[in-house]
Amino acid sequence: MISKSVAESVLACAMSGGADFVELFGEITRNNSIFMIDGKIDRVNDTLISGVGIRAFLGTRTVFASTTDTSREGLMKCARAVAVAMGEVKQDISITLRDRMLPNLHPALIVPTGTDAAYRADILRAGCFAAKEYDDAISQVTGSLAGVDRRIWIANSDGLFTTDRHVRTRLGVSAVASAAGVNQSGSSSPGAGMGLEFFDRINPEDVGREASRQATVNLRADYCPAGNMTVAIENGFGGVIFHEACGHSLEATSVSIGASQMAGKLGETIANPKVTAIDDGTIPSAWGSVNIDDEGTPTRRNVLIENGILKNYLIDRLGSRRTGMPMTGSGRRQSYTFEATSRMTNTFIDNGTDRNEDIIASIENGLYCRKMGGGSVNPLTGEFNFAVTEGYLVKNGKICEPVRGACLIGTGSEILRNIDMVGQNLETAQGMCGSSSGSVPTDVGQPLIRVSTITVGGR
Amino acid sequence: MKFEEIKRILSNAAERRGLTEYEIYYQIDESISAETLKDEISAFSSGVGGGVCFRCIVNGKMGYASGERMTEEALEEMVEQAISNAACIDSEDEVFLFGGSPSYTKLPAREIALNDAATVRDTALRLQKALYAESEHVTDGTQSCAISLISEIAISNSHGLSLQNRVGMSGAYVNPIVTDGKESQESFEFDEGVSYDELKKLPEKAVQKALEKLGAETVSSGKYDVILDGTQFRQFLATFSPVFSAKQAQHGLSLLAGKEGEVIASPCVTVVDDPMREGACMQTPFDGEGVATARRNVIENGVLKTLLYDLSTAKKAGVASTGNGQKAGYSAPIAIAPYHFSICPGEADDETLFSTLGNGLYVTQCKGFHSSANAVTGDFSIECAGFLIRDGKKSGAIKGFTVAGNFFDLLKQIEAVGNELKWSIPTSFTVFGSPNVLIRNLSVAGK
Repeated sequence: MISKSVAESVLACAMSGGADFVELFGEITRNNSIFMIDGKIDRVNDTLISGVGIRAFLGTRTVFASTTDTSREGLMKCARAVAVAMGEVKQDISITLRDRMLPNLHPALIVPTGTDAAYRADILRAGCFAAKEYDDAISQVTGSLAGVDRRIWIANSDGLFTTDRHVRTRLGVSAVASAAGVNQSGSSSPGAGMGLEFFDRINPEDVGREASRQATVNLRADYCPAGNMTVAIENGFGGVIFHEACGHSLEATSVSIGASQMAGKLGETIANPKVTAIDDGTIPSAWGSVNIDDEGTPTRRNVLIENGILKNYLIDRLGSRRTGMPMTGSGRRQSYTFEATSRMTNTFIDNGTDRNEDIIASIENGLYCRKMGGGSVNPLTGEFNFAVTEGYLVKNGKICEPVRGACLIGTGSEILRNIDMVGQNLETAQGMCGSSSGSVPTDVGQPLIRVSTITVGGR
Repeated sequence: MKFEEIKRILSNAAERRGLTEYEIYYQIDESISAETLKDEISAFSSGVGGGVCFRCIVNGKMGYASGERMTEEALEEMVEQAISNAACIDSEDEVFLFGGSPSYTKLPAREIALNDAATVRDTALRLQKALYAESEHVTDGTQSCAISLISEIAISNSHGLSLQNRVGMSGAYVNPIVTDGKESQESFEFDEGVSYDELKKLPEKAVQKALEKLGAETVSSGKYDVILDGTQFRQFLATFSPVFSAKQAQHGLSLLAGKEGEVIASPCVTVVDDPMREGACMQTPFDGEGVATARRNVIENGVLKTLLYDLSTAKKAGVASTGNGQKAGYSAPIAIAPYHFSICPGEADDETLFSTLGNGLYVTQCKGFHSSANAVTGDFSIECAGFLIRDGKKSGAIKGFTVAGNFFDLLKQIEAVGNELKWSIPTSFTVFGSPNVLIRNLSVAGK
């Protein structure tokens, strides 16, 4: 996309306004998606995202400009805009870039964007048809198969010149079960940082059946009761509790300006000693993995909480300048039009020592959350919410009837202490995480955990 | 590359491949923003973006492709992709490209320009300074941001349709953080305005709202009468707006299917969709398919008057398109969405509304709609904060509770509607608005 010599000139130009560091981020991303509804392929779309973002730093001040015009003239115009916005100082800088290539930990054997749409449509059909056939109560099934092929180029005034290519694939199926004027829904949407060979690993029909299973369970569920309860949250997407209750509050974006409940707490016990939490962007082919972050820093395994003690934050380049702490490979952005900020990759609570059957048996009167939906948090106060999409009452240590329509709310600092049992079936699940630098793929995860008390938003 | 040049290349590419029905949708966005931290501009950014979408009908199926790379090679590839994507579709819904409506509302002439960098910086800095000056409790982490953006849209197709529109918005948001030493709280307020003078009410309002949240307590679980602030009820309208889409209804994904003409809300509820709301920054005389837009009542005194249609769903239902086939960005497919979609204000001012309620909750903050509310089922369970209402008066701050119910029941439970309409920040051409609403007997989970 951008040659080394052009990048050198563009960086030098961007730096001429007095910046102490400049960075160029180029991107060509091919997105393709297929949608199905009523058993028919309804829509097929291809989009080519292409552009450049140039950012300059002077201390902790930043200037950023982006453009779709990637010609040499377009890039120089964008660079001049950055230089002018940075200030009056005129400096003549010459930059020499050096290539760096890292091993690719997340190869893609069948890049989705390079395949015939009819081939992808068959995968989607398999998932949707299996969902429809699951039960007579299933009244509608919608599905999507999305492929992303993202190539990035990063050059900066430290001399870094590097590139990466990241492919991801995701199948989503949603099912609606209907009876007597009531609709209930279920969904399943696994993804991975790999190509269509993902479907050698998972069966699209299982994805469809899982969506319909949830919808039919919810159709026979009564409303969830309201109040404070002991809750067991299952593995996989249950890990959204850590993502919301704590993960966002550990991002330098809020920590470094004091707008986080977790600011200034390194080394302190912030969670129950049974809790160890990790952000790991290096897990091979995981949904939230990347070889390098969008600032060129290699991703790594960051232990955030170890046995209840806060060990680290998630730090991007600007966050590093603000806090004086090293970067953690956490600088991410949806696309070239966003400035990178500190974000999560694959974030999970690690396996503990409690037996899963003991966790359920320990609950006299509470809720078992088998599937969770998304959530949100205010990092300043730590107040968070997330949805229960499949839940069951627990009575005298036994899982009983299903209940629907609940969310869980709480404050991060309290909930982390209330996680008093941690099981042994760690599993991750895929999500799209939204924040100031846009929407990025992240994994959440955990084994089965018990929260001694949390507010259940039922009726 | 200019639109005319892009159009020429795409049209040539289409005709060389024997296409007779095709359309080009072009959007270019420009933006500028300045953000403050402490007493300086911490971030300044500007961007020029957008792209083009090509769609075509091949054997009765619509194929789409879009992109941002305006080279001859990339545009040729876009046409190829759209053709091959059409071949993959097996939906039997009839698809259309539109030749144009008999007439379009003329927008009043006005200048739509990107704010200049100096004004944007100055606005952000002065707002930030005013936030700190508002209260000694305002603390670092407090941010102000001034923004300005413009979008240009053009549609051109093989049926002779040729439409253009230009919209723009300047405004600012402030995000003060306040602390009393024990606890921190914040607020987020946005308003439209080109310069500081037009926005100078923001800091006081925002700091006041943040201070009011300090010392909040949790309410007990139970049933409560509730006033939902207009800024929150409009989030309910936004979340559940897909239930008014004819596409959702035709596919069994809206419980309003087949209910046109029936009572679905209490008599005090009238919901209007207005694409050309007076004074609004995002006015559009045509939708993403080129159909003329118009103001219409969707719910009138509790009766569902119409769903929202695009060309394809209208044909299926045997009605005319309501001009709601929108594109949320150049690359988005046509999807049904409202414009300025709001509950019409009623008679009651806040004092009357509060005294009618007597004792209950005033909810001023709701979170988690994207996950804990479901338009297909109507169910919601939402994290809330606000104030107690005691003897008809706003009282102590409350937080950490949920309100749960079903949207279709909620519409019927609205007992009174306030007299002040509160609008949201636009997302593409869609803006939601609501006055405060009084609802009896909602389920609350708290301590």
